[in-house]
Amino acid sequence: MIPSDILEIDADVVVVGGGSAGSTAAIELARHFPVGRVVLLEKAHVKRSGAIAIGMDGLNNAIIPGYATPEQYVKEITMANDGIVNQRAVLAYAERSFDMIQQLDGWGVKFQKTESGDFDVKKVHHKGAYVLPMPEGYDLKKILTRMIRRSGVRVVNRVMGTRILLDEGRVAGIVGLDTREGRVAVVRARAVVLCCGASGRLGLPASGYLFGTYENPANAGDGYAMAYHAGAELTGIECFQINPLIKDYNGPACAYVTGPFGGHTVNAAGNRFIESDYWSGQMMMELYRELTSASGPVYLELTHLAPETLLEIEKVLHRTERPSRGRFHAGRGHQYGTDRVEMHISEIGLCSGHSASGVWVNERGETTVPGLYAAGDMACVPHNYLLGAMTYGRICAENALRYLADSAAPRVDPDAIEAERQRVMEPLRRPDGIPAHQLEYKIRRQVNDYLQPPKSANRMELGLAAFRRAEEELEEVGATNPHELMRVQEVQFIRDCAEMAARASLHRKESRWGLYHHRLDYPLMDDDRWFTHVNLRKAADGTMQAIERPVAPYVVPLDADERQAYHRLRVGAAGSSPAAQGEPAALERQ
Amino acid sequence: MKDNAEREVVKAAEARQVGHAQSTVRVDVPVIINTEKCIKGCKICIDSCPVDCLSVNPASGKAHMRFDECWYCLACELDCPKDAITVKIPVLLR
Repeated sequence: MIPSDILEIDADVVVVGGGSAGSTAAIELARHFPVGRVVLLEKAHVKRSGAIAIGMDGLNNAIIPGYATPEQYVKEITMANDGIVNQRAVLAYAERSFDMIQQLDGWGVKFQKTESGDFDVKKVHHKGAYVLPMPEGYDLKKILTRMIRRSGVRVVNRVMGTRILLDEGRVAGIVGLDTREGRVAVVRARAVVLCCGASGRLGLPASGYLFGTYENPANAGDGYAMAYHAGAELTGIECFQINPLIKDYNGPACAYVTGPFGGHTVNAAGNRFIESDYWSGQMMMELYRELTSASGPVYLELTHLAPETLLEIEKVLHRTERPSRGRFHAGRGHQYGTDRVEMHISEIGLCSGHSASGVWVNERGETTVPGLYAAGDMACVPHNYLLGAMTYGRICAENALRYLADSAAPRVDPDAIEAERQRVMEPLRRPDGIPAHQLEYKIRRQVNDYLQPPKSANRMELGLAAFRRAEEELEEVGATNPHELMRVQEVQFIRDCAEMAARASLHRKESRWGLYHHRLDYPLMDDDRWFTHVNLRKAADGTMQAIERPVAPYVVPLDADERQAYHRLRVGAAGSSPAAQGEPAALERQ
Repeated sequence: MKDNAEREVVKAAEARQVGHAQSTVRVDVPVIINTEKCIKGCKICIDSCPVDCLSVNPASGKAHMRFDECWYCLACELDCPKDAITVKIPVLLR
C-alpha cells in the first residue's frame, strides 16, 4: 500500500543534513529568521548523525595566528592536490577558520591548550602546523545539537532528501522520504543548502560487510546525486578518497594522530618508508606500493613506546572517533605494546573532506544552480575536513541570506511533486522484487572490480556498462517497508555516484593525485594537457557529460621548490620517488 | 525430449521474465540487547542509530536489532540509560 499523505512544510531555507556543515549552516541562518522558518532535514537523528556521529579527536586544518597563515595553508593544499584547486575557495576557508575555532571555543568545545593557555598546535603536514587536538571531542556532536535546539531551527529527523525541486532553473524546495512513516515530505523553500556528506558507500570494504565502511554508511552519496539531478556541476570526482585503515576494521590506523607521540608507519621489516603521515594521494601511492611489494604489508608501529604513552594514545584512539577500536584489538588479543597494527587501504569513496571530489562550489558556497548551496564532505573544497565543513556551513548560510534578500517566491509545480512521489514509492509495488542490499552488494563489488586504482580505460568501460545495466536492474528492486524504501533510494544514489566515478576517471587521460587517480594506461602527470578541472553535469538529453573548466589564476603563487614537496614523500627519495614521475612542471601556469 | 540447445534458448528467455521468489538466511548480528535491563517505551537507542537498524520488537516491546546494518559506532551502547546494550564487532571483521 502506498501512503498518499504528504508531509508539507513551508520554509525560507532548508538545510539538508544535520552533520557538521549542516549544523553550523542552520544555526547561522536561524539568527535571521523567525522560529521554524529554517528547516533542517536529517536522515538520521541530529544527536548522532554525519561523519562525526560519535566524535572527532582533533582538527586537521586549524589555521591559527602564530602557527600558520591563510596563505601558507593555501599553498599546502595546492601542493597536496597537485595544483588543481580553486584557490579562492580554499582561501575563503583559511581566512575564516580561526573565527570558527573561536566560535566553537565559545560554545564549549574543549581544545588542547598549553600551560600558558595557547592552542596546542601539532605539526603533521609536510610543511606547516595545522593539527589541533580536541581531547573531549566526543562532546562535539552534543554541543552542536544543543546549539541547534537553542537556535529555533525546525529539525525534522528521519527524513532523507531525494530530489531538489526547481522553478525555471532556480531552487524551489526539496522532496524527501520520511523513512519511518513511509510518506513523502515536501519542503518549499527559496534556497537549499546541501550538507549530505560523502559518497561513503561506493566501494565495498575488503571484509565484504556492506556497512563496514570508512565513512558513516548513512552518507551514501545522496547529496552528489541530488545536486547532479538538479543540474549542478560536480568536479574532481576522479580524485577518489582512499584512506589508510586498520586491516579489516574500518577505522583509520591514525599514524598521524600517534605521530606526535612517536608512532609511525613501517613495512614488514620494521623500516619506515614515508616521511609524512599526512593523508594525500601521493602518500597513499607510497603506502600502496609498499603494501603490494615484497616488503609489505604495512603496519602502525607503536611497540617501541612507553606504557604510559600507549595509555595516552588509547585515550585518544579508543574514545572519540572510533570507540569500538579497542574492542577490535582486544578481540584478537592484540596490544599496542607488543603487536604492530596491520594496515590496509580503504574502499574508494567520494569525499572532498579528505580528497577533492564534490559538487562544484565557489568561495561563497554557491553551486551552478541559483539558490543551491553545498558544504562539507560533498562540496569540492579540497582536504576541507571537519573544520572546513563547519566553516563552509557558515559561508553558505551568509551567502544564502544575500540571495534570499532579492529572490522572489518560486512556484512549486504540483505535478513535479506527484511524479517524484510515484518514483520514490514505486518499489513498494514490487514486494517480491530483488532486495536492495543484494543489488547494492553487486554494484559496489563492481566498483571494486572496475574502478579501484590503479585504473585503466578497459576496466572502467566495463564498469560503466555494468552501472548502466544496474539502472535496469533497479527497476526489479522491491521494498516492503519504509526502511527498505530508503535503502532503494540509496542504491540509486550509489549507482549514480559509480557512473560519475567511471566517467570522470575515463575523461582525465593522465595520472594525478598519486593513487587517487593512477592510470596504468596514462601513467604520467601531464600538466600541458590536463592542468584543468574535469566537471560532470547532466546534459539536456539526460546523459552524463564531462566538461573541462580552467583552473582560475592563483591568488597565492607557489615557488618551484614548493611544487615538488608532496612528490618527495618516500624516505631517501631525494625528489625522485616513483610517484614523482611526471613532474608538476607548471603548477601556476595561468 | 527436446534438443538441449533448443531447450536452453527457451529457458534463457524464461529466466529473464519469470519473476522473483525470496528465501531467508540466518544472520549473526552485532548488537546484543539485554531484555532484562532494557525498558519498554524507551526509544533512545533507536533514535541514536545513524543507520536506523534498531527497532522495537513487537513481541517483547523491547529494542532489538532488526536489520544487519551496523557501523559498530557504539552510539546505541553509549546512549542507553540502562547499560543494556553490548555491540560486538561484526563477525565478518572481528
